[in-house]
Amino acid sequence: AWTPGWSVFCLVLLTVALGAQALTPSHHLSLSDVDRLKGLLSQPFTDLASAYYSIVGLSKLGASVADENDACQFLKAQLDPMSVDSLFFAAEASQAIADCEVSIFNETRDILLAAVSEDSTVTQIFRAVSALSSLGLPLASQEVVAALVARIAKEDNVLAITTALQTATRLSQQAELGGILEEIEDLAARLDDLGGVYLQFEEGLEATALFVTAAYTLSDHADTEPPLKEDQVIQLVNSVFSKKSWDSRSEAFSVACAAAALSSNRFHVPVIVSTQGPATVSHSQPILHLLVTDILSNPLASANLLVESAQAVASKSVVLSQAPFSLRNGIFELNFMASQPASGYYQFTVAVTGDSRLVANQVELKVKVSTEVAVTNMDLSVVDKDQSIGTKTSRVDYPFKAKGSFTADSHQNFAMNFQLVDANTGVELTPHQTFVRFHNQKTGQEVVFVAEPDSKNLYKFELDTAERKSEFDSMSGTYVLHLIVGDATLENPILWNVADVVLKFLDEEAPAAIQSKTLYMPKPDIQHLFREPEKKPPTVVSNTFTALVLSPFLLLLILWFKLGANISNFSLSPSSVLFHVGHACMLGLMYVYWTHLNMFQTLKYLAIIGSLTFLAGNRMLAQKAVKRYGQSSTLTFFTRSTCEN
Amino acid sequence: LECTMDAFLCLTSAYFPKWRRGHQTYKRTLVLLDNLNIRDTHSIFFRSLADRGFDLSFKTADDPSLSLIKYGQFLYDHLIIFSPSVEDFGGNINVETITSFIDGGGNVLVAAGSDIGDPLRELGSECGIEFDEEKTAVIDHHHYDVSDPGEHTLIVADPENLLKAPTIVGNPSDKPILFKGVGMVADPDNPLVLDILTGSSTSYSYFPDRPISQYPHAVGKNTLLIAGLQARNNARVVFSGSLYFFSDAFFNSAVQKATPGSQRYAQTGNMELAEALSQWVFKEAGVLRVGAVTHHPVGESTPPAAYTITDLVEYSVVIEKLSKGSWVPFDGKDIQLEFVRIDPFVRTYLKKNGDKYSVQFKLPDVYGVFQFKVDYNRLGYTHLYSSTQVSVRPLQHTQYDRFIPSAFPYYASVFSMMGGLFVFSIVFLHMKEKEKSD
Repeated sequence: AWTPGWSVFCLVLLTVALGAQALTPSHHLSLSDVDRLKGLLSQPFTDLASAYYSIVGLSKLGASVADENDACQFLKAQLDPMSVDSLFFAAEASQAIADCEVSIFNETRDILLAAVSEDSTVTQIFRAVSALSSLGLPLASQEVVAALVARIAKEDNVLAITTALQTATRLSQQAELGGILEEIEDLAARLDDLGGVYLQFEEGLEATALFVTAAYTLSDHADTEPPLKEDQVIQLVNSVFSKKSWDSRSEAFSVACAAAALSSNRFHVPVIVSTQGPATVSHSQPILHLLVTDILSNPLASANLLVESAQAVASKSVVLSQAPFSLRNGIFELNFMASQPASGYYQFTVAVTGDSRLVANQVELKVKVSTEVAVTNMDLSVVDKDQSIGTKTSRVDYPFKAKGSFTADSHQNFAMNFQLVDANTGVELTPHQTFVRFHNQKTGQEVVFVAEPDSKNLYKFELDTAERKSEFDSMSGTYVLHLIVGDATLENPILWNVADVVLKFLDEEAPAAIQSKTLYMPKPDIQHLFREPEKKPPTVVSNTFTALVLSPFLLLLILWFKLGANISNFSLSPSSVLFHVGHACMLGLMYVYWTHLNMFQTLKYLAIIGSLTFLAGNRMLAQKAVKRYGQSSTLTFFTRSTCEN
Repeated sequence: LECTMDAFLCLTSAYFPKWRRGHQTYKRTLVLLDNLNIRDTHSIFFRSLADRGFDLSFKTADDPSLSLIKYGQFLYDHLIIFSPSVEDFGGNINVETITSFIDGGGNVLVAAGSDIGDPLRELGSECGIEFDEEKTAVIDHHHYDVSDPGEHTLIVADPENLLKAPTIVGNPSDKPILFKGVGMVADPDNPLVLDILTGSSTSYSYFPDRPISQYPHAVGKNTLLIAGLQARNNARVVFSGSLYFFSDAFFNSAVQKATPGSQRYAQTGNMELAEALSQWVFKEAGVLRVGAVTHHPVGESTPPAAYTITDLVEYSVVIEKLSKGSWVPFDGKDIQLEFVRIDPFVRTYLKKNGDKYSVQFKLPDVYGVFQFKVDYNRLGYTHLYSSTQVSVRPLQHTQYDRFIPSAFPYYASVFSMMGGLFVFSIVFLHMKEKEKSD
């Protein structure tokens, strides 16, 4: 059994939901796909091969290149009469253009015939044979068959055998094609089955598409039904037409050939049944429109369409059986609302008849009967939990908003009662989506509840403010109340701003900072706060004390002056000058030490100045002693006595 | 001899094909598919990846030869999982190896669908994303496309529901996004999950064919259609609830909301979004790195062994961004520098100055071991982190104030002492006493 896989997808076919029993094609070329395919093939060509792909590919799609004369001139100009490939491309392409004949030389036939031998590759044989046949030159079919059979034995790969099949379509029907025809079945056995939906060669899309083309062209040529089962045909269709964006001109060419082969052959023509627009009927649009086309989205004029049965998905009851569609302007129509279905989904089994070639002519469709909904009896009330105060109910009509706002605190419930009915029939409805949404416009927070119907399909929604506070994060404030009603079978989904509700929660908590929001934000700037300098006492005090501290020195000078201190003994000898200068320098060094130097520098300078001062002081004292005692003695004696003093 | 050499080369390259690819790029990508046909139905997306130099290896998800890690080395840099329905990965891939792949810095793009299997749900849970159950779909009765097949699951997502981060979602455009698939919700405890695309207020996620009997898994704006994650190690993961989102059909489709009077757009925004997402998730966009970091006192050019408190310091850093495969200077306005000793003492914005970001500031009057720290974590960019350690010492004794007015009495006493000593020594040594006899 085949189930709808996810990969079953095509935008146009989205309109057709597939059933579970019969396999139907899930991909084909929609009109826009065909246009894109033509667009790709119509791109200007630069060499013979691309000209061949474009011209022949377009002709398969029933179109032609923009300027046939130009194309023909291009073919003639580019033709290399000595090359099999060149002859093949030019001959085949010129066949697709009206009144375009490439001129040939006498040797052409010999060159082409020489290529038909066991020593050439299958591709060479194919090109030579095709060129010969397109140019209307005679060839011996039986010899070609022999060469092909010999080559296939050597080149046992999908592409080579497919090419051999294509070659065989160019041969006379009298030749013994039986052996080559059997290759179709062998190749079909090599196809990979992907999930029961796709059947393809691992060599890729191009190989699969060319195989389909070759199989059907050869079967037509030999007038034998190709050995492909109906399911296999559909799976091949799925894999060839699932790719909607083609990589190259040759890939587009192969898809165009496969599409042409599948839409016009004598054995299997896959049918595509799709709805025009959505598969929906309603009271305003009671008619179901179906399109029956081939792979290329061309309408199948000869077909007849019949509803075998239409079954409600929910109740399984059959609403309609054996009803024919009527054909109008190429579109099949059925007034389904005439059988008065209730809203919901219906499973249609549709049969396409009228042509024995049709494949996938039993199609399952899911059709939707939609209706319109109306909200009635909308009552809003705020109910005290202990019921001591009678409830005040106010009625609101769609689509208006209730006047004033409702306030509910933690001792109260907010209640909402309403009914949903079918606007066309008045029947009560229970749509899929019946949500009540509270939206806080300040914080953007939204809280959604599901309203559920009771046994009488009456919707009662009650909000217990105290119990539900966690869902509102205990954020008191004004909430906009919306009623959202929607269902796949409703044409008018409702989003109704019913009222404003003020909710009051008891213990309001500050909303917790949400980390994720700040995770990617810049952090606040930090300026370092430098330590304040300590407060200092007023300078008057320090100045006063400075004066006080300096006063003893002043006192000393005054007293000395009074006592008659003098320096009359000072002699201007070098040693005494040096000593006092040195002494002053040492004291000065102390000051410089305080302001500029470190201890090591200071010690260095001190050592220099100190030793000079020491020597000078020694000399000076010695002179003084000599002067004082007036007697001669040795220097050593005086030095020692100075030290001892 | 030449023949044998050739044959030998062929053999070696056949046995060790990874050798040749290993060095050059960081673009080896494993693509896991439900079936190989997805390569055709999603060819535009894969082609855009291939055009950007990704080396794509397509495998079906249940291929028994699958492996991500061999001999402790990752065989791929990126992983694309386009196989929503897989029940068991083939080979030695499972949810654990995928999470360890992410832990090892690998990037993963996951597309799911309504037929989501258990492995993808588990992988989602590992990354802080909870998928809804199998067979559910995101439903929006108010914003569905005109070509919806009937269940209102072909959703038109407004571009305004996209995350406001151009590095992730590309430049803003007004083209709506087509989506059909399963819904997700983010784990509220995981701050790293990014809500790349959310549903509208009227959307919800449930079984389309069953009446709602319990509260839906995701409702309103909580419904995530596309979610992302940048782990702490900068590995990136994107989860899309829809594989169709990446399909050729959705890329090329026209889009129009079914509501009467809606605008029709000739093309969806899917292609642009998918391309931007793939650039982000595979680290082609939003990747930053730190270049040279320099710091020195103002007026000097080299950093000292230790800074002194309250020094005026200049810090500069080069920050570069990966753009089309090369590194270009990054242009950011909110890069902050912190000066940290356990806690930040200073946090200030860096100013762009040529190719560098720099700032001058005064060091705090606190000593210790500090760090210059640039910790730039912004939406859509890799986490940029640079720290440089320096020590800050107190003032040397020579650097204090020499003459404080309040202490003048002390200085005066010292200098008067020194002056006194000098004068006294002169007077004492050279005074001529009067003759007592006089």
